[in-house]
Amino acid sequence: MGFLKGLANSIADPRLFFLLAVGALLLAVWKRETVASNGVGYGLLGFLGLFFLFGTFDANFRLIVTKPDNVPIVGLIFLLLFFVWYSIREGVLNDRRIAAGNGPIEKAESDRVWVWPDLVYTELISLILCSVVLIVWSIFLKAPLEQPANPANTPNPSKAPWYFLGLQEMLVYFDPWLAGVVLPSLIIVGLICIPYIDKNPKGNGYYTFVERKAEITIFLFGFAVLWASLIVLGTFLRGPNWNFFGPFEFWDIHKLAALTNVDLSEYIWVRGLRTGLPQQWYIREIFGILLVLFYVFALPVILAKGLFKTYYEKLGAPRYYVATFLFLMMMSLPMKMLARWIFNLKYIVHISEFFFNI
Amino acid sequence: MAEKKGVGHAYNVDFLNVVFAASSVFLLLSTVWMVWDDYDRDWKNTQRRFNQLELQVTQAQLQQAGRAVDRGKLQQLEAQQKAAEKNIAANKQKVDELQAKVKDADTKVYRATLDVNYAKATYDQDRYDFEATRASGGSGVDKKQALAQSEERQLAGLNLAYEKALADKADVQKQLSQYTGEAVAAAKQIEEMNAEQSRLRKRLDVIAPSALKDYFRNAPLLDFMAPTIRIQQIILPNVMDDVNFIRVPKMDRCQTCHLAIDQKGYEKYPQPYTTHPDLATYLGGSSLHPIDRVGCTVCHEGMGQSVSFRDAAHMPSTEKQQEEWEKKYHWEQPHLWDYPMLPVKMTEASCAKCHRQQVYLPKADTLGMAYATFERAGCYACHKTKGFDTNIRKPGPILTKIDSKLSPEWVKNWIRNPRAVKPTTWMPRFFYNSNNSSPEDAVRNEAEINAIASYLFANADKHEFAVKNPPHGDAKRGEEIVKSIGCQGCHVVGEGKREEIGPRRTFGQPLENIGNKTTYEWIYNWVRDPKHYSPATYMPNLRLTDAQVADVATYLSGLKGGAGDGAKATPDAKASDDVLLDYLKNVMPFEDAKAQLAKLSPPARQVELGRRAISRYGCFSCHDIKGFETAQPIGTDLSEEGSKLVTRLDFAFINDIPHTSKLGWFRRKLHDPRVFDRGRVLQPLDKLRMPNFDFTDAEVDRLVVAIMSLQREIQPPAALPVRSARYDYQVAGRTLVHRRNCVGCHIIEGDGGDFVKLVAEPSLGPPMLTPEGARVQPDWLYAFLRGPITIRPWLSVRMPTFGLDDPNLNGVIRYFGSVSNTIGPFQTHEVVKASNTADAGGKALFELLKCQQCHVLGAIPKDQPTSNLAPDLRMSAERLNPEWIIEWLKRPSDILPGTRMPAFWPDYPKSFYTQMGGSAEAQIKAIRDHLLTFRGGPSPKAPATAKAANNN
Repeated sequence: MGFLKGLANSIADPRLFFLLAVGALLLAVWKRETVASNGVGYGLLGFLGLFFLFGTFDANFRLIVTKPDNVPIVGLIFLLLFFVWYSIREGVLNDRRIAAGNGPIEKAESDRVWVWPDLVYTELISLILCSVVLIVWSIFLKAPLEQPANPANTPNPSKAPWYFLGLQEMLVYFDPWLAGVVLPSLIIVGLICIPYIDKNPKGNGYYTFVERKAEITIFLFGFAVLWASLIVLGTFLRGPNWNFFGPFEFWDIHKLAALTNVDLSEYIWVRGLRTGLPQQWYIREIFGILLVLFYVFALPVILAKGLFKTYYEKLGAPRYYVATFLFLMMMSLPMKMLARWIFNLKYIVHISEFFFNI
Repeated sequence: MAEKKGVGHAYNVDFLNVVFAASSVFLLLSTVWMVWDDYDRDWKNTQRRFNQLELQVTQAQLQQAGRAVDRGKLQQLEAQQKAAEKNIAANKQKVDELQAKVKDADTKVYRATLDVNYAKATYDQDRYDFEATRASGGSGVDKKQALAQSEERQLAGLNLAYEKALADKADVQKQLSQYTGEAVAAAKQIEEMNAEQSRLRKRLDVIAPSALKDYFRNAPLLDFMAPTIRIQQIILPNVMDDVNFIRVPKMDRCQTCHLAIDQKGYEKYPQPYTTHPDLATYLGGSSLHPIDRVGCTVCHEGMGQSVSFRDAAHMPSTEKQQEEWEKKYHWEQPHLWDYPMLPVKMTEASCAKCHRQQVYLPKADTLGMAYATFERAGCYACHKTKGFDTNIRKPGPILTKIDSKLSPEWVKNWIRNPRAVKPTTWMPRFFYNSNNSSPEDAVRNEAEINAIASYLFANADKHEFAVKNPPHGDAKRGEEIVKSIGCQGCHVVGEGKREEIGPRRTFGQPLENIGNKTTYEWIYNWVRDPKHYSPATYMPNLRLTDAQVADVATYLSGLKGGAGDGAKATPDAKASDDVLLDYLKNVMPFEDAKAQLAKLSPPARQVELGRRAISRYGCFSCHDIKGFETAQPIGTDLSEEGSKLVTRLDFAFINDIPHTSKLGWFRRKLHDPRVFDRGRVLQPLDKLRMPNFDFTDAEVDRLVVAIMSLQREIQPPAALPVRSARYDYQVAGRTLVHRRNCVGCHIIEGDGGDFVKLVAEPSLGPPMLTPEGARVQPDWLYAFLRGPITIRPWLSVRMPTFGLDDPNLNGVIRYFGSVSNTIGPFQTHEVVKASNTADAGGKALFELLKCQQCHVLGAIPKDQPTSNLAPDLRMSAERLNPEWIIEWLKRPSDILPGTRMPAFWPDYPKSFYTQMGGSAEAQIKAIRDHLLTFRGGPSPKAPATAKAANNN
């Protein structure tokens, strides 16, 4: 028992947790033929169910999972896993049909539209059942009201609403103006842009994977890994002082985490060149600034000639640059995370004079 | 995928119909469930059960009220009524006629009233119209004025008509009452006699079960109109809840379940239906804390708005109750409300919220004991605390002359573990506690103990004893003196546990083992004149003769016990230097510290380490120590500790108490002040340093009450007691008599008198002083306090000379004056003059009542047990208030319960005695006047007498 809990605690460490999430996604995409089998799908759900069942015997686990605020997130884990698996499965099944020349199953009866009673009636039934679930839920789990708000005594940890916990997790790695303003705006702008960037006529209105390999993988990475799994992490694994706590760990307010992060400028000037930090910020931060400029402006051009050459040709320059910019912005989060974990990197650009940090 | 059926249907529609029907049924059921869940509240069942209880209780009360009525009188009245009704019947025709006339007159009056009202309304409107038009200079002023004037005349006429109608009616009624008056009067008297019964009957009508009430008015969804089961709340505009951003009037809904809390008659029923245990002081309409002004949660704490057992933040008093509640109510440690209810026995902590500036309060025994313990343990010395920062002594003795009193060896053993030397001492243990008891700590502990002793002896002033090489006396006689004269009011001689003896009788240092502590010479000089050694000491002078002093000193110096705990390590010079270096490098760079250390000679190092250690442990907070005159106390400010949020308390690795329990934290801290260091890796100077007092559970409980009473002041002035000069005198005086430990010997306002319990017979102990202000004259009291005289020579206990200064003396006098509401030094003495005229009668009565049988009149009566003896009556004129003598003679045992003074006039104003026409008032007055003719008794005002008594 103790060993299993210890194992779960160490797997849940944000570094491993994130890398495992990425790995699992890649594995699911790569070995999708295997993953698509019912055995794997139900096996995964069963395993997850067993894990929660096992966890409820632990007081700390029970405390955090049964908090009325957190119960929906438990549901989210199961639903997310199920629907990702289900979409892959449907995609794989359709891909097999397409490969056999049958076309996707959704197009099998394309001469009619299933509206009444197939759509409307089932929607009505779903509506009623959802209402039942919500009513019963609200009877069992009372609204989690707490004591009167006190400016001198804020909750620790202070957590955003669950749907923003992914953004809050980004605050660990970026300053608020980036994690709270720029990146969320880019998410919205990016989602708006998708239909205009997308020139692939295939995969429209039916499940498939093969016809949209890159799109689906990037989407799943952004949604399942960067958004949903960070919500799960923020809900269950971040405790007092935003410290990390394993699922079976006691939320001890005294837990300390060493804050030994270092700026890029310190790496270069102090550790690399063995001189002090230059007085002028533009000299001090020149490497970081150059690196950022390179990442944003030069890298898309270089990629267009190299790795993303086919996309550049397929999409044309405007679409390609917008898409690559958005993609690079998205990738800046995992890259900064990796840099933090591997090099203890605090800021790439750290201009405390203007409160401008990247 | 689902089975497909026919063309155009992806699903089986029949099947979908079934699913739809089933889910609709589920929705209906869940909606019903939701309504029921919302409707079904525990408090409603509580009210339903109470309804049955109230029915029973009211029925019983009704029966009782019926029995209480005077049957004879009732029958007589009924007979009267019957006779009067016969009279009416005899004149039936006339009566009927008059009744018809009354009815007619009534109609006329009614009509006239309407006419007047309408005319008045019309006139008011038109008059305003005229006024407004004239003021704005509009047109048609004259016409409007004429209209208003005519309406005014009309109104006057109607008023006359109305008055006439009234007069006519009165006239007819008068005629009628000639026949019916007697019957009406009798009926009214009967009604008055049955008033209580009719009140209870009406109440029964309201609470009796009925289908309309039980099934309709309280039905789900219909209960928004006029339910009989509803939340009972009081809103208290003068008492505030602090919800952080704003202070809002308290809203207490406690009565939703505690339905009979402010009603008599439910004392024997269990919670929540019981009556408040002290309705005379709390909640009652005529009490000082009526429920509609004070509410519930300002005293009990908890969440007043909540109507659920758990959310109201109830707090169990015992572990057994906690288990019961956990089973019955799913109780859990409250954590969603910052101020959960206080356990019942701690409720008095809340008195201080409104009675903040008072410190000591009558009737608040728990709080009084809590503060006495807080003061005696000296908490305020290290922890600055509002209310305990002025007019209060340093709890420990001065150490500025330690050289002439103690030996270094004794001091070290004492510091190491004071309770090993004197088990009842309040001096806490700084070393060998839970965070510094390991073998490595021993060296450091001993080094610090040695150094502290070095510092104290290096910084001691020279002291000249008043009597050098004093003579020895007889220990046996000394023991008798110590045990009888009153020393035990403040000192114990190893009589048991500190907890049981209490803070008042341990007010002075315990005397056990004192022979080991200091020299005979010191004890002799101290007993003889304490202020010679310690000018600010509270120890009074007992005016012993030198021979008695020698006896006492001989006895005390023979009280010897163990030497205490010996050293557990012997640190060498290097170890000691290391400790000093550790202190130094904490405040300066390491190299500087080393240089500093090297500069000091070995003895100077000891003294320096002593200085640093004293400074760290805060010894100077309790003791006067040279070099620390301006040092600030080292503890956390406790002024608002009771309001501190539990999140501000560090539970560290102590996980066996809930981290949501403030009381749990305080209890744990007081039991072992360094427990929160457990399991932590700490440098010696980072460790907790609060010393261990070895408090018992009861002492911890008292201190927790004291801490919880130290609340943030959020109540507005309107909630506080009204201030007046009398109130202020009482507040200041109460504090004074507690802080000087007058209450160690005397009972004052129902508090204290611990010494009286040691005396065989209360009348042989120090007197009760509650009525002192009414009893004695202020100038006599002033003289007495400055130089007490012997009032009851047969007592062995004696009033010591406290040596108070004038402000304090006046404070005491004003206090006694304010308690009995006789404030002021100037009082009526005219009555004394009248004494000569009626004196013969007074003298005769005085002899008849044999006052001299118990009272001294020059000579002490023989043949009486000492417990019956009473003061010399020759003092009366100078000592007693003339008014008081009268009150005293009237009802002695009301003033001093248990007094030996007989009540000669138990049936006042009737009298057994025939003198003066049998008037008790005149008799008492005559005796009083006779008393006031006596002269020549002992007097504190006569300087010669005072000197003779004060033979030092």
